[in-house]
Amino acid sequence: MNTTIECGPGCSTAHVAMAPGETCTSEAGAMIAMSGDMGIETTTKKRGGGGVLKAMKRMLAGESFFLNHFTAGQQGGELYLATTMPGDMMTYQLQAGESLIVQGGSYVACEEGVEIDLSWQGFKSFLSGERVFWLNLNGEGQVILSSFGAIYPIEIDGEHIVDTGHIVAFNETLDFTLTKAGKSWASSFLGGEGLVCKFRGRGTVWCQSHNAVGFGRTLGAKLRPR
Amino acid sequence: MQTEVKGAPAFAYIETVLEPGETLVAESDAMTSMAADLDVKAEFNGGFVSGLCKKFLGGESLFVNRFTNNTNGPRSLTLTQGTPGDIREVDLDGGSIYLQPGAYIASTPGLKLGVGYAGIGSFIGREGLFRLQVSGTGRLWFGAYGALLDKEIQGEYIVDTSHLVAYEPGMSLHVQMAGGIISSVFSGEGLVTRVEGTGRIVIQSRSMSGLVSWLNPKLR
Repeated sequence: MNTTIECGPGCSTAHVAMAPGETCTSEAGAMIAMSGDMGIETTTKKRGGGGVLKAMKRMLAGESFFLNHFTAGQQGGELYLATTMPGDMMTYQLQAGESLIVQGGSYVACEEGVEIDLSWQGFKSFLSGERVFWLNLNGEGQVILSSFGAIYPIEIDGEHIVDTGHIVAFNETLDFTLTKAGKSWASSFLGGEGLVCKFRGRGTVWCQSHNAVGFGRTLGAKLRPR
Repeated sequence: MQTEVKGAPAFAYIETVLEPGETLVAESDAMTSMAADLDVKAEFNGGFVSGLCKKFLGGESLFVNRFTNNTNGPRSLTLTQGTPGDIREVDLDGGSIYLQPGAYIASTPGLKLGVGYAGIGSFIGREGLFRLQVSGTGRLWFGAYGALLDKEIQGEYIVDTSHLVAYEPGMSLHVQMAGGIISSVFSGEGLVTRVEGTGRIVIQSRSMSGLVSWLNPKLR
């Protein structure tokens, strides 16, 4: 599976080139175009594992109940994936034994060898500006994620601060706590930053440049009430 | 200070690296990520009264954040704006520039942010009764919803209402109908802003009010 992200960061789409017989699993509704002989199967689980319970857990993290499995025909094939929101997409190659923690709702697709689990980041998630439940992607293979806004990586060795609502994904080798921006709580709240996420450890965090919730608040205030 | 605007025009954001001792001032909630040991201090946007004026008349936040690098190495800071869209970086050398309310994002400490009466023409042209004036010597970032177009004008230029983001001093704004009565009503242009003078203007390719008026009839 060879993925290139095109048309980013405004209206990104993932072009997935697949070898004969190769399978790509995506969230329901992500396919926008594909080769004519692509096999498609819809289940509530990853092939060979999980079931309805796992699908319900996935829903808790804002993902779809059903997953689509696309299998390339004898000539190989291609697949275009996208999400409903404008924004960027990224790919990540998971090595065996590695885990990636992903903001609920950012998962788009993965290779067959990747497992999708629910991740509980503790009660701090209620205040993190993200969904309460996160996804833990592990196993071996490529994953495709999406965001609202452009995605940029930050390599962390030590500490780094990310504003709430701007996390897309991070290596499991990192941990975050909720804290203030700067030295004083008053200053952090008066300055509009409020709570921020302080990451510690060694690894990469991927941030989204814009905050969908914040934009929704700005836009929502101007829409007529229903 | 190294700075770069990335992700333009759809989702522009500002990547900066502050050298030791350098400071950057940014509007409230502009920070998306930063080195953990940068100092952040919230302060009134140019004093209490001035801050209130900027909040209620200039569409800006009452507080701004002052990011200072008090370490002895370079530290990174990433800033953004609340809406998707483009961001411009402008270097001012003792001059000044006028901004549409809400367009200001960040600046170096040598710049002064003020709010002033923009004139009734600006108000009818949906650019606000007041405007932000940034002056001094330093670097300024501003942005808006949509892509930004730069235009050097000499004499007269017509911009649709609520699409003018920034303009240089010495220009005046007048509101007029797009054409005759019939064409103004039926062309979908209605009123337009006539900019007169010599200098640079920045235009936004989309407007929030346009998005809102397109969305509203679809809600039920």
